[in-house]
Amino acid sequence: MRKVEASASLRGATVILDDRPILRDVSVELGPGLTLVRGPNGAGKTTLLRAFAGLVPLARGTREMTGDALYIGHRPMLLRGLTARENLTFYVRFRGLAEDGIANALDAWGLGNDLDRPVERLSAGERRRASLARIETERLPVLLLDEPFADLDDPGVSRLRDAIAGAREDGRIVVVATHAHLELDDLAASHIAVDRGIVA
Amino acid sequence: MMELDRIGLVVGRELRAERRQPDGIVAAVTFITVLVLLESLIVGPAVARDADVAPALFWLALAFATILATMRSFDRELEDDALEGLVALPGGRDALFGGKVVALSIVLALVAAVGGILSLVLLDLPLALPFHLVLVVVLGVIALPPVVVVNVVLALRLRARAALVPILALPVLVPQLVAASRGASAAISGDAVGALSWAGLLFAFAVVYSVLGLTIVPAAID
Repeated sequence: MRKVEASASLRGATVILDDRPILRDVSVELGPGLTLVRGPNGAGKTTLLRAFAGLVPLARGTREMTGDALYIGHRPMLLRGLTARENLTFYVRFRGLAEDGIANALDAWGLGNDLDRPVERLSAGERRRASLARIETERLPVLLLDEPFADLDDPGVSRLRDAIAGAREDGRIVVVATHAHLELDDLAASHIAVDRGIVA
Repeated sequence: MMELDRIGLVVGRELRAERRQPDGIVAAVTFITVLVLLESLIVGPAVARDADVAPALFWLALAFATILATMRSFDRELEDDALEGLVALPGGRDALFGGKVVALSIVLALVAAVGGILSLVLLDLPLALPFHLVLVVVLGVIALPPVVVVNVVLALRLRARAALVPILALPVLVPQLVAASRGASAAISGDAVGALSWAGLLFAFAVVYSVLGLTIVPAAID
């Protein structure tokens, strides 16, 4: 498996949404390995990940990233009306990547029999699995996972832990925002604590 | 990957989803069919066959059909945050507008074909210049979606967008609707020069609003 070199940073980043500062003067540097983002509800964890993904405009500060990032948010980000395979194929084609591993990746996430079912007919957990299969189909150097364990059953949680460990061993930057799953602390190279938009 | 390839991928994704969940196209076809059926009952057969009245009602119905289909398309994107998945891709913001406009133009072409054939058959419209009419309809179908897509994107995060989009879009669509109605009317009544002039204006509207959309949608999507 190829090793990847990537770096990502926010410097003095402030994000204001609906006239409310969500992140205040945040400076974070991400290196290879697992970084855990923790903090209470409304602390700004999601906005921090979205800022790294370039999904929110910075009112102040800068964002730098070498290599593409895969951001998977609270919801699976799959288009209803398409199958799991079609959704993942779209993402892979859009990035100009090879399509050959899609069926295998979905199979590995327990969706071997549901490749061609429209995603709206899958359960919430199955949709979450389909979206997490993108970790393997797109293989990007930066992974930004926001509460990725939501909706997953025990085998799904175990599969995700393996995927995170694998990405970490590949030298990828893996950022996970989660309240629970303290067992990930052992894998983490660094921790970010967010509270009221400020990174401790 | 080239920009056009990305737009092509968004078009394919959109049309595939529309085929599986044809809510937008069904609503639009139903709307235009009901309007054509009611037209002669409301205004009477003689007025309904007027070369000015029938095209005006047809294009008004098509404008509402465009709004319906566009709203449904973006509603589907907002479920499960699929739109965010697309926007997070490199080049996704730029491909969004082009892909949506092309896909909606294809959907609208189908709606216009159904509505147009129904109008011609049910109202027994005498058609002097069929090729000119096809040209006007094609350019009209291309001219409507850019305006509506821009307005839907601007109102995307508003709860009242179902009410706001028609209010925002219809005044901007008036020049296109006038040009399309007059062009179709000219084609029906045998005025070739008039039909081509209005068709040219429709083309200009399509180009102007496409450039505008390509410029402001990537920024507005934030």
